[in-house]
Amino acid sequence: MRGVALVGAGVSKFGVRKASYRDLIWEAGKVCFDSIPGVKPKDVEGLVVGSVMPERTAFQSHISSLAAEALGIKPSALSARTEHMCASGTVGIRYAYAFIAAGLADLVMVLGVEKLNQPTGEEAILNMSAGVDREWEAAFGLTAPPCFALAAQRHMAEFGTTEEQLALVGVKNHNHAAKNPNAHFSKGATLDQVLGSRMIATPLRLFMCSPITDGAAAVILASEDRARELTDKPVWIRGTGQALDGFQLTSLHEDYAHWPALKRAARTAYAMAGVGPHEVDVAEVHDCFAIAELIAYEELGFCHKGEAGPFAAAGRSDYGGDVVVNPRGGLIGCGHPLGATGVAQAAEIFVQLRDAAGGRQAPGAAIGLTHNNSGMGEHVVMIYGRERA
Amino acid sequence: MTYFRAVDPFPLESADHTKLHEFYSHLASGRLVTTRCLDCRTTAWPPRGFCGECTSDRFEWVDLPGEGTIHAFTVQETGLPAGFDGRRVFAIVKVDVHRVFAVLVDADPLQLRIGQRVRLAPLRVADDPKGNARWLPAFTPT
Repeated sequence: MRGVALVGAGVSKFGVRKASYRDLIWEAGKVCFDSIPGVKPKDVEGLVVGSVMPERTAFQSHISSLAAEALGIKPSALSARTEHMCASGTVGIRYAYAFIAAGLADLVMVLGVEKLNQPTGEEAILNMSAGVDREWEAAFGLTAPPCFALAAQRHMAEFGTTEEQLALVGVKNHNHAAKNPNAHFSKGATLDQVLGSRMIATPLRLFMCSPITDGAAAVILASEDRARELTDKPVWIRGTGQALDGFQLTSLHEDYAHWPALKRAARTAYAMAGVGPHEVDVAEVHDCFAIAELIAYEELGFCHKGEAGPFAAAGRSDYGGDVVVNPRGGLIGCGHPLGATGVAQAAEIFVQLRDAAGGRQAPGAAIGLTHNNSGMGEHVVMIYGRERA
Repeated sequence: MTYFRAVDPFPLESADHTKLHEFYSHLASGRLVTTRCLDCRTTAWPPRGFCGECTSDRFEWVDLPGEGTIHAFTVQETGLPAGFDGRRVFAIVKVDVHRVFAVLVDADPLQLRIGQRVRLAPLRVADDPKGNARWLPAFTPT
């Protein structure tokens, strides 16, 4: 297979935006093209758009063509939309990667976009229930928070993880977001604020949860030769893995404190990249809720099973620790515009591995990882490197 | 008002709309049933249109016990979707060898514990657009 690298990346402002679905596509597309002056829309051969529910939020299907036109791209090799709930963006990156590696295209943009906030707040939450099984779960009023709350309950019961340890993930990611001008939240948070925020689903409080956010992000992937022509700082895709354990809550591993699909996806990605978890310098993990970040530390191999709470409390997932996790602020601090999230994670690793992340820079970062999931049983892991191999 | 499927949170449960309509008609009479494959005898939960083990689509309806135990639960205080009010208790209930996702009704969250026995208490929700009653599986402490 041919080598594939990121050569450009850009992210819109995330938040409750006074912007249309198309405005968000324009915003991310513009900053992405600005990041790589040698690439104009006419040069891009393919476009993959990760977007979960524009049918509900913008009454719009036919997304990849709409986005191509908005971006000025006339795809000649690949045009597609990916929908895989919260992991749609990274699933799109995998498609673009495979197309380029196989020699079917040389230059492909992946854009993720979501306009979740609606004039009526209740509708936004109703829409989120489309991501779980309508007949067997969503009909009961289920959305994501209670699912992850069940995982938190199990992790606390089994390993003694505390509310304070969960809260420290919220503190870290809110404080990281304060250094990211594109993040949904900009004020940071103290431990008292997180522990004092309102209860969503026991034991998860508001500041341990990602908010409902509008936003878009874009990256440009290039074949090895094209990447070297375009930039002297390509960021190489070194490994990728995806694994599914189950869709419905009742078909997942019986104990929600264990996410075997993430372990499998990570193992595949590490083997392909030829690196181990202790070589990862910077990671963007899917902290849709604080418990998800803790379980990710364990299943990604950053710490032993059951030790994520103390690992976080000791600062080992922050600057100066073993690995800097979620320097852009994660989903908790940046917000979670579903289809845009995985692409924004890649965009952060892109700037981190080019030593261009400014006040958020993880010093000397050479190996980066992204982890994107759609529910507790479906995981995608990407590993990026400053060097080709 | 005209009916729109896209804002109705409940399944369409009648024979006009789903192969699994007998699940719901049994539920309305207080029985929790599921599908058992007539070829390999695997019992599925939730019911299935064809067997995920042997791929046969010949199945029969079998009763599950009307009682189970709480395997896990959480109490959602805020942030429920439109149309769902108040504090809601979501649970995974162990019924025989199956794990069933449901809400717990008439349950005091402070009194609940893992392993506690609960019994089936079918929950009537909004009628379908033709006025047929609709039911969801729910449980209540014994």
